Amino acid sequence: MTDLSTADVAAGGEAAPMHRSWAGAIWHSRNGRIGCVLVALVALGGVLGASGITPHPPGAQDVNAALRGVGIGHLFGTDQFGRDVFSQVLQGLGVSLEIAALAVLIAGAVGTLGGILAGFIGRWVSAVIMRATDVMFAIPAILLALAIVTALGPSILDSAIAIGVGYVPIFVRVVRGPVLALREADFVRAGRVLGFTRSRLLFRHILPSVAGAVAVQASLALAWAILAEASLSFLGLGPPPPTASLGEMVSESSSLASSAWWTLAGPSIAIIVAVIGFNFLGDGLRDAADPRARTR
Amino acid sequence: MLLGIVRRMLSMALTLFGVSVVIFVVLRLLPGNAVTASLGVSAGLLTHAQLAALNHFYGVGQPAIEQFFSWLGSTLSGNLGVSLASREPVSTLVGQPLLVTLELAAVAMVLGVLIGVGFGMVGAIRPGRWPDDVGQGVSVVGLAIPSFVIGTGLVTFLSSTFHYFPSSQGYVSFLQDPWLNLQQIFFPALTLSLGIGAAIMRTTRAAVLEVSGLNFTRTARGKGVSTQALVWRHLFLNALVPIVTMSGIQLGYLLGGTVIVEQIFVLPGLGRLLVSSINNRDFPVVQSVTLIFATGFVVVNMLVDVLYTIIDPRTRSR
Repeated sequence: MTDLSTADVAAGGEAAPMHRSWAGAIWHSRNGRIGCVLVALVALGGVLGASGITPHPPGAQDVNAALRGVGIGHLFGTDQFGRDVFSQVLQGLGVSLEIAALAVLIAGAVGTLGGILAGFIGRWVSAVIMRATDVMFAIPAILLALAIVTALGPSILDSAIAIGVGYVPIFVRVVRGPVLALREADFVRAGRVLGFTRSRLLFRHILPSVAGAVAVQASLALAWAILAEASLSFLGLGPPPPTASLGEMVSESSSLASSAWWTLAGPSIAIIVAVIGFNFLGDGLRDAADPRARTR
Repeated sequence: MLLGIVRRMLSMALTLFGVSVVIFVVLRLLPGNAVTASLGVSAGLLTHAQLAALNHFYGVGQPAIEQFFSWLGSTLSGNLGVSLASREPVSTLVGQPLLVTLELAAVAMVLGVLIGVGFGMVGAIRPGRWPDDVGQGVSVVGLAIPSFVIGTGLVTFLSSTFHYFPSSQGYVSFLQDPWLNLQQIFFPALTLSLGIGAAIMRTTRAAVLEVSGLNFTRTARGKGVSTQALVWRHLFLNALVPIVTMSGIQLGYLLGGTVIVEQIFVLPGLGRLLVSSINNRDFPVVQSVTLIFATGFVVVNMLVDVLYTIIDPRTRSR
């Protein structure tokens, strides 16, 4: 037995370090580590913001404390109405993450299903789905989101749909390729010979093999969705006013930033940290899923 | 070769047809009647006959499929409909902004390619030295910082530190005052180009590094080809396909990005027109502008495909 397993490793070429869990494998790559830490920070901020645990009430105005600089009482300073920028950033981050997560959930579910159908069933189903993704690719995603938000409205679910739709074709492409290859893989053929049903083959044998690629893509999609949400709210198409949103804060800061730079810096830092975090986490996931494609 | 081009044209036409269907369906999800929505409160004062006449004029009221084909038909013949907000034909409304956006996109693309290929080549030729580190740093910044943050920061910095905001006296076309026009275009274009440049830089660096590890590069170096010829004729040309692909992909982001950047720098381009039409619920304009953006993107992608056959003779046979 021992001989056999060492022979396997030798035949596989370079011996990749084995990790008991995914988490260990992600932590093993430098980008993955940075990504984990940043995403944990952002997620913590978002959860605190969404559940209303902020140093000051986000909407509370205090004229006496208007335009305070960065300090101990106000971590990111205050805006022209004396609202605490840090608290608003936390709240905005909560909304942002909620929309982004919903959007990626929608895009991931629809796209993965589409990719599986296109790869597994083949023929005209595949032709129709691939043609449809070509069409979706032809419309720049942010414009598609703008058009959908125009039609649906700016609520959280509507924004999530608008942002998610643009990312569906990417999931379709990412899933279809591996499924096409797996359809002819030996273990799937064996299953077919054993008389497994189509759905068992799909969900028990093929889907788990695609899960890694989907997870990588989901992480990258989250980064994109946060950017897209911020862009929409920057253009005034985000959630309606009482709720703080990161893009809108950036847009409002443009008249203040020359004298109060922190009104621009606060929301910008939140967006940048979130985007870098999810991108790096995606890198880490990729390394974990495919040790040959190590990022250096 | 000819057959390939014909086939590509057909596939492009099919894609554009699909795009028009998607845009049409999305915007018709809009609840309520666009005509009454555009009139606001005064819609309640209309008689049935007036309402019917208006609906007929704007072609609302008909079955969706009929609406679609009449829209498609008139669009193909150059009639983009009438704006609900200004009552002007959309085709006249769109003309000037289209030129502004084209100029912005072209300048941004040129800047982005210069930044990307420049830093990418420098980084790949001497990896690990400080110019490479600078390039890598710039690319992380360019990829992670959204264009609206860069733009807002740039405007604030220029106007507060140098009291410089070229757009303050309103947009001037290139023919009226070329120097002022270029100043107005340069900063938004620079904002857009950082993001594209970063992506192109990474692709360039990776592609050139890969080529420089191949046997023919070693042979060329061994037979005494000058550094300049080696870099441009052997490395760059062979790394060109992924660079062109990435540039084509980035153009999609660029078109989307113009919407935001035009807003920040107060440029009267298509993006600004789109946002104001969205706020006015002026959907003949939204429809046309989105279609124009998508058409531009599809056409450029086809040109990129054609470019492949010029750059890389191996792709010609297919």
